[in-house]
Amino acid sequence: MQVKVVIGTIAFMLTMIILGYAALREPERLEHFTAAREGRMVETGAKLYFDNCATCHGVDGTAQECYDSLGNPIDCQGLPLNNYFLVCGDTPARLEQTLFEGTKEQFIERTVSAGRSGTAMIPWSERYGGPMRDDQVKNVAAFVLNFANEELCAAEPISFNWPDSVDDFFVMETEDFVAAAGDPENGAAVYTSFACNSCHGNVDEAGSNQIGPWLGDIEEVGATRVEGETAVQYVYNSILHPNDHIAPDCATGPCIGPPSAMVQDLAFRMSNYPQYMVDLLAYLIGE
Amino acid sequence: MATFFEQVSEMGVKQAVITKADEVVERLTAGMNISDIRSALRGDEPRRPNPRLRPHADSFWFHIRPSFYHTEVTHIYPTFRLGWLSTFMFVWETITGIILMVFYTPSPLVAYDNMWNILGNVPLGQLMRNMHRLGAEVMVLVVALHMLRTFITGSYKKPRQFTWATGVILLTFTALLSFSGYLLPWDQLAYWALTVFLSGAEAAPAPPELNANVLLILQGAPSLGAGGLLRWYLFHVLLLPLLTAIFFFVHYYKVVLYGISLPPGREEIGEDTAKRVPKDERTYFTPDILTSELLWTALITLFLTAGSLWFWDAPLEHHADPIVTPLHVVAPWYLAWSQGWLKLADKTIVIGFIPLLIVMFVVMPYVEVGKSRRYADRRVGLTVACLFFTAMLVSNWMGSPEFRVQSSPELEVAQEVMPQEGANVLLGVPYEYLQTGIYLPGEEISDNPYLTRALEEFEAAMQNHSCVLNGNPDMPREGIWDDCRELEGGRFGNDFGDNAMPDPFAALRITQEQANMVRLTLMFEVLDPNNPGEYLVQSGDSIYAFRHEGSFYEEECRFLNKDC
Ligand code: HEM
Repeated sequence: MQVKVVIGTIAFMLTMIILGYAALREPERLEHFTAAREGRMVETGAKLYFDNCATCHGVDGTAQECYDSLGNPIDCQGLPLNNYFLVCGDTPARLEQTLFEGTKEQFIERTVSAGRSGTAMIPWSERYGGPMRDDQVKNVAAFVLNFANEELCAAEPISFNWPDSVDDFFVMETEDFVAAAGDPENGAAVYTSFACNSCHGNVDEAGSNQIGPWLGDIEEVGATRVEGETAVQYVYNSILHPNDHIAPDCATGPCIGPPSAMVQDLAFRMSNYPQYMVDLLAYLIGE
Repeated sequence: MATFFEQVSEMGVKQAVITKADEVVERLTAGMNISDIRSALRGDEPRRPNPRLRPHADSFWFHIRPSFYHTEVTHIYPTFRLGWLSTFMFVWETITGIILMVFYTPSPLVAYDNMWNILGNVPLGQLMRNMHRLGAEVMVLVVALHMLRTFITGSYKKPRQFTWATGVILLTFTALLSFSGYLLPWDQLAYWALTVFLSGAEAAPAPPELNANVLLILQGAPSLGAGGLLRWYLFHVLLLPLLTAIFFFVHYYKVVLYGISLPPGREEIGEDTAKRVPKDERTYFTPDILTSELLWTALITLFLTAGSLWFWDAPLEHHADPIVTPLHVVAPWYLAWSQGWLKLADKTIVIGFIPLLIVMFVVMPYVEVGKSRRYADRRVGLTVACLFFTAMLVSNWMGSPEFRVQSSPELEVAQEVMPQEGANVLLGVPYEYLQTGIYLPGEEISDNPYLTRALEEFEAAMQNHSCVLNGNPDMPREGIWDDCRELEGGRFGNDFGDNAMPDPFAALRITQEQANMVRLTLMFEVLDPNNPGEYLVQSGDSIYAFRHEGSFYEEECRFLNKDC
């Protein structure tokens, strides 16, 4: 019996030592598992992203493949996600532009879940009729935020320095950009690829606008909106600074704002393709 | 009796405190004072009248234990302590389970997140989870072994038939407890194991309306979801433990009533002397049995704690997904036999047979009424038991996917080295060693033992599922593969099976996907020897997995029960 007492006591003490050891290494282990959780969410999110999102937002998330080698928009409508203004810092610019008050995680989760009405971004959450469960939405958001890395977030990318005056813009000459004559046909393509038509409708068909004002007659009415601004200057401003002036009549009544319901980040999105601005203005104003 | 203050004035503070403590201890133990306990621990003879018997009359916990055993049943043989260990496991599961309950909500929206919270946020949470899950498996094993031993020693015979019958029910509950807990993490493993199990209910040999309604009750909705999870949670934490506890007390009451049966050779045939214990053959509960039980408690606690920390790890797969069926859905080992049967026989027959089997076990002692418990007189019974045991082991093996593989060979290779679920040999390579590039199976990568080992495994898997027809200059290591056997339907076989790729090309491609994440793609190409220019297998980019820097699969690979 004494032997049993001794063995039992030793076993009990060993158990206690093991528990003590386990408790000591606990902080480190918890850290590892938190990272593992994060990592696996990103992995699952990656799968979902490539199956569902990459066709619009690009395989590398820059939405670059939305343009062919000549810079013409092809059938692809996504915004870039692998992008400083969406994923870097605590309150990335895209949140501020849309006056979103929460965190960037919430911003992305919300956008993925509920979509952006009027654009090709459908609501993805099954709560709003989409295909994804909550956990999947979270995983996709984790993947998107994982684009943030030291290199991308090192410094704010220099975006195109849009001049205030549209006339200065047309004659602008920088290393990368010299405005060519506007091409209305390409402007029409830009109009759809940036999804302007989803709110403003078809310019050839009065009343086809869904949300914003119809733009078929903007050549005339644009000149009357803001004193001292020509139609082309007005349209140029409205694209770059949508909140500066709120148009009187929208599809379903007076336009709301400021802030305007207009897409807020075109200045940034068109930075890589300033010629598109020229073409778009040529299309809308016939300049 | 004098009050404490009177005692103080009478004998001084020190003596009064000692007297008081003695009194308190005697009350707590319902009969033994401090010196009685010390003498019991020293192994001294008890004083007369024996104070060690009083707790068996007066205390709750001891009154359900007999005050002495026949010395013959206190050695390892014949009980192997398996009944006590079963009891211990039940208590163990209750304690660890209650701790886990604190951090768990039975809802598909959060259950899976809860598991990660337990793993990554609750101090000692992973240990607790491993202990509970390892304990569940050990408990099934211990209870089954206990059943085996009571069969072998013939302890199910008269008058202990009913003890045996309640035992069979306890085993059923134990398996159900284990299995109902299986669903709670709400991961792929859980979801599909239960879905397959429940699909059995549909095939039961009963009117289809009845089956449909049973299924509906069991899964709470037309498909397994929030309602089903809640139900199985309640089975697991409420109904089954309650029923198990009730049957345990009935079972144990009968054990005390009839006494533990002596080893078969120790009594006359047809006699039951367990309760007639001569004075000199008694081993008293206090201190001997108690010490021995505490010893076993300490040992198995040590075993379970060390096992949970270093050797065995509870699995956690991806979030349950009703749309994505894993390649091989495997039942837990203690139910794998039924999966084996399902591969052989019609579903309805198998599902009907399982309850029949339980009933057969329950009534067995009432039908098999041979008087003798001695081994020599029970050759038929023991042989049948051995055959049954072997049949179960074989069925279990048949339940594993090794038996009758159905899917295509390239998916089988992928399943071996990079399955969709769980840590595996490729994901287990530490992140820093996953350099981008294209690698052939069996390739040796200098300064990279991890990737080299993974590629070795890749080669071994290829060897199982490939064969040589004409030779393939792109795969220089094919010398070790078998020659192809041509089969009907344009398929090919090798020495391992009827599902091989002739002259395949295979490679692992690692590409950088994000700054801290790579993609591993397994690429397979097999030309169709019968249709030149056509591919028999061309997997393209379809077989891949992502590996994030932080996902820590290498940690999982340290455990014995992980396949990497
Ligand atoms: C939760 C499950 C179970 C618990 C907690 C349990 C507990 C016990 C305990 C403590 C004993 C005392 C003797 C010993 O340690 O061997 C015992 C005896 C016995 N058990 Fe169990 N048992 C369980 C399951 C079973 C099963 C599955 C069977 C068989 C189908 C079974 C049949 C018996 C029989 C026949 C005895 C009497 C043995 C004898 O008198 O030699 N029990 N059980």
